Amino acid sequence: MSLQAATSPARPWLTGMREAFPLLGGYVPVAISFGLIATQAGFSAWEAVIISVLFYAGASQFLFVGMIAAGSPLWLVVAMTLLINVRHVVYAPNLAPWLTSSRGWPWLMHTLTDQVFALAHARLPQLPEAQRLGWFTGAALLAWASWIGGTALGAVAGGELIARWALMGEILPFALPALFLVLVAPRFTSRRWSLALGMTIAAALLLTLVGLTNVAIPLAAACGALCFQVAKFGPTAKGDRHE
Amino acid sequence: MSSALWIAVLAAALGTLLMRLLPLLWMQRRLERLGDAGPEAMPQWLGLLGPLMIAAVLGVSLVPVTPGPLAWLATAIGVLVTLAVWWRKRTLGWPVAAGVAAYGAVVMLLG
Repeated sequence: MSLQAATSPARPWLTGMREAFPLLGGYVPVAISFGLIATQAGFSAWEAVIISVLFYAGASQFLFVGMIAAGSPLWLVVAMTLLINVRHVVYAPNLAPWLTSSRGWPWLMHTLTDQVFALAHARLPQLPEAQRLGWFTGAALLAWASWIGGTALGAVAGGELIARWALMGEILPFALPALFLVLVAPRFTSRRWSLALGMTIAAALLLTLVGLTNVAIPLAAACGALCFQVAKFGPTAKGDRHE
Repeated sequence: MSSALWIAVLAAALGTLLMRLLPLLWMQRRLERLGDAGPEAMPQWLGLLGPLMIAAVLGVSLVPVTPGPLAWLATAIGVLVTLAVWWRKRTLGWPVAAGVAAYGAVVMLLG
């Protein structure tokens, strides 16, 4: 991995916050939308905020309030919410080798979203052991706070904000793909990895375009894994390195 | 909210937390059992899925908020600028800032 970032040994949490800052470009506009949609669905501003504090999982929150508003049975709402979030099970084990023995880590797993995982998976292995907990705490808590703050803003003044800052709501979310691009680019280390990563990106993009956003991440990753396994036995795998 | 709805909120939140937390405890026990194996202790399929999940999140996030020819053009230019700045700088912050600026410039100039 060739990403380098200046770290402050005394304040690793500050480094974490600085590196998580691009996440806010994607989080805040979406959280404002969630706050607005939740209040329009009949939830109070406080209830919308509590959902963001407790769930902290974008897609499933939209699904939750949408299904409640549509009058779906509660057991089905809970089941569908959990089904969308099941992809999270692979995140923490991928970080585990770089986590220290602190008892704070299990509590911080509540903040392990897709985006925080992507950032932590790239950065934790590069950091000295003593800085990892502070770095993760700063990065994860900033992202969580922005999600909660954005929800509150959206619930209280979402309509007015979206009308006034419509263009910013279109531009700032590009910070997310730009950040992920920077996190994924150094992993194109061999033809085999390039094929698997390229297929995964293309599959996720296509699945989202046809409206299957909720299953796009696990399905696309499975597709990429299949490519990776198949490429092992193909002629293009010869001479591949860094596997 | 009714009591039933509160219970649904708590059940979904607790379930999500457990899906994030329990695999960590399982992996930590596995690492303890295998000694200092580090990343090698991870099952191969799990280590494979980590980077691929990030690539999948990238694919999902590449779809613009409001898809259309201008948004796709801005996305393509934003991606190219992000990659070019990353190639030169190899940092996290500058490529993201340059990519967003390029995306915004295309949307505002051609929109």
